[in-house]
Amino acid sequence: MRTGRRLIQDYWGILLILVAWQAWVIVNQFNPIVMPTPISVFDALITDPVLFLENTGITFAVALVGMTGGMIIGTSLAVATWLSPLLSGLVSPLAVLFSSVPVVALIPIIARLLGYNVSTEIAIVVIITFFPSFVFASSGLRALPPGSDDLFRVLGASRRATLFRLALPAAMPNLAIALRLAAAHAILAAMIAEFLMGTSGLGYLFAKTNDEFQTEQAFGTSIVATAISVAAFLLASFVERRVRSHFS
Amino acid sequence: MTGEAQFDPDGPAITATDVTKKFTLKGSGDGVLALQELSLAVATGEFVALLGPSGCGKSTLLRLMASLDRPTTGNVTVCGEPPDAIAARHAFGVAFQDHALLPWLTVYENIALPFKLAGRTPDDVAIREMIVLVGLDEFVSARPRQLSGGMRQRVSIARALILDPEVLLLDEPFGALDAVTRRQMNIELQRIWLRDQITTVLVTHSVDEAIFLADRVLVLSGRPGRIILEAIVPFDRPRDRSVMRSEEFHSLADELSLALEPSED
Amino acid sequence: MATDTTWVGRTLLGAVGLVIFFGLWQLIGHYKLAGLSWPPLTSVIDMLTDASRRPLFGRAVSATLSSTGMGYLSGACLGLVLAWSTHLLPPMRRGGDRLAAVLNSVPSIALGPIFLLLLSRDAAPAAVASVHVFFIVYVSVTSGLASASTAHQDLFSVFGAGRFARFRRLEMPSALPALASGLRLSWPAALIGAIIGEWFGAPRGLGILIINAMQNFQIVLLWCAVFLAVIASLTFYGLLTGLERGIYGRFR
Repeated sequence: MRTGRRLIQDYWGILLILVAWQAWVIVNQFNPIVMPTPISVFDALITDPVLFLENTGITFAVALVGMTGGMIIGTSLAVATWLSPLLSGLVSPLAVLFSSVPVVALIPIIARLLGYNVSTEIAIVVIITFFPSFVFASSGLRALPPGSDDLFRVLGASRRATLFRLALPAAMPNLAIALRLAAAHAILAAMIAEFLMGTSGLGYLFAKTNDEFQTEQAFGTSIVATAISVAAFLLASFVERRVRSHFS
Repeated sequence: MTGEAQFDPDGPAITATDVTKKFTLKGSGDGVLALQELSLAVATGEFVALLGPSGCGKSTLLRLMASLDRPTTGNVTVCGEPPDAIAARHAFGVAFQDHALLPWLTVYENIALPFKLAGRTPDDVAIREMIVLVGLDEFVSARPRQLSGGMRQRVSIARALILDPEVLLLDEPFGALDAVTRRQMNIELQRIWLRDQITTVLVTHSVDEAIFLADRVLVLSGRPGRIILEAIVPFDRPRDRSVMRSEEFHSLADELSLALEPSED
Repeated sequence: MATDTTWVGRTLLGAVGLVIFFGLWQLIGHYKLAGLSWPPLTSVIDMLTDASRRPLFGRAVSATLSSTGMGYLSGACLGLVLAWSTHLLPPMRRGGDRLAAVLNSVPSIALGPIFLLLLSRDAAPAAVASVHVFFIVYVSVTSGLASASTAHQDLFSVFGAGRFARFRRLEMPSALPALASGLRLSWPAALIGAIIGEWFGAPRGLGILIINAMQNFQIVLLWCAVFLAVIASLTFYGLLTGLERGIYGRFR
């Protein structure tokens, strides 16, 4: 009884959508090819779990590898602009420009430039996760505890010591935010790339089943993709909380 | 011009000669004159307090000594050298009102930081001794956010002293504390200071704190900052609370407070 | 003086950075350093300004902008209303937060076909845009409503303000800056939503132009369409940044 109330309190919105969906299909007497019920989608998921697991693995790997690359490159460039005011002045307007550009619209261009294959998918994820990493790392490297930069100067700290002992640790909470944003972007970007290029992974599976009117599988793919996005988001939020409590 | 001259250990540890500091503000043609033709000398082993109303340039003067800023005209030396050279050989000890402790380091690691910045291996024995000296032996592995304001300043003072600096610069270290804690910290600081009697400049706006701690108190005027009064503090150390209740203390405090009142211009 | 010169220096440096960026783009395109898929900047500009192409671009931009605008407005209203409701009815809060988080995690390409079924081919782009905006507005408004300072809350309690008066006079105004930030950040998200929504069979729009040009190797056309999408994003983003500054000045 208690858990039931708790469940409704926490998940009323999601339950409402599921119930409305089921009711909508029944009331309109939709053909299952047009619009399957939640129950038949669940059925499709457990009949062929290998298909879904395999493609989930591919998408997840593309997202993870790309995100790691994007965060490393973004943070490195942020460190380079921290070390060189000249470089910082040159790229800061570009960074502002690109942070408000709909980067997803760039995916078709990148696909055409690099060719239709898995390394292009990874490159797309790298580029898309690069922007939040660079923006958040740059501001994090400058968000120092009050007075600490004066302290380091008076104590005669070298540039290198200031970077490794002050600026980089101070940037950790911001990098954790970047990780949370990048995790969400990475899975979406990987799926869109797969969807457009039709190579492999959940995005490809979705495009294929959708085109072949295997609507139950297509919906199943969406639900799996949503689940891994939610999982990635929760994991990244957990990391963010831990990092925040350690570094600030 | 005599910057290369040998430093005389019996001569002044810190000198300022005709120092003027002008800040320019964006958009306005003329700047703000923070200090005007100020000169002073601090003897080796002396504890000097700079007292003045807020915004009088006393912190600016300390920043010039600490190599954080350069005078517009005039000259500042520390131990006969430009301040930059002292910073480069890691011979300053500093504590600010923002305690500037790194939140991701423990008490122990924060106190060990100056060793790391000087490229030296932290001296475990010295660090543990220092932690005992500032009375934080039960908080060795605590994080700054787990400490009270007073305890954070003790860490900050310990960090300032850990490398046996040649000069100690304190900018309102107890400015953010409540009156009771502040008095306690003054007594603590005196006890710690007596161990090595390092040349010290303390910036403060508290008359009592300046008299209680210093050998000599310099009062700065409002902007532009100039020295308008110099007072030698006659009490022997160690001083205790009874000093603050003495007649002499009160008359000195009155004299200094009077000098701090806004002058007629 | 010092700060003046650094400001001028920064602006100059930034301009130099932009010139280098566009110069590199032109060079790479001109000497085909990145292959045939990277056209020189000048050919993109030539096609964009070509009078015979103008009706094509005009139709695509206006279709996408109207989908984006409709999605933006409806998503913002939904987000605002749900945020207000869960704020006034605290037991609904956790469920509202979870719903928003899960909706945000549904990959946008999966939303397209669903809206295609539920609504129509024309309405799908706006609907996908609306979901994107809904999430951002909901999250920023809920955090904004919670940001009213305890001092102000205490003041209202001492005055004996009721729940609704407190909401209308204190919490709603203090949530305005967060709402303005949310509205600014939502615009690029709405545009992306509309473009993705168009991929599922909208009759026209920048998304259709992009996907057709990509599949038919019309490289310069592809770059033009993306260029237009970027301009559409930046223009409104700039306007909304101005609005946000104004609101911050007034309410903070």
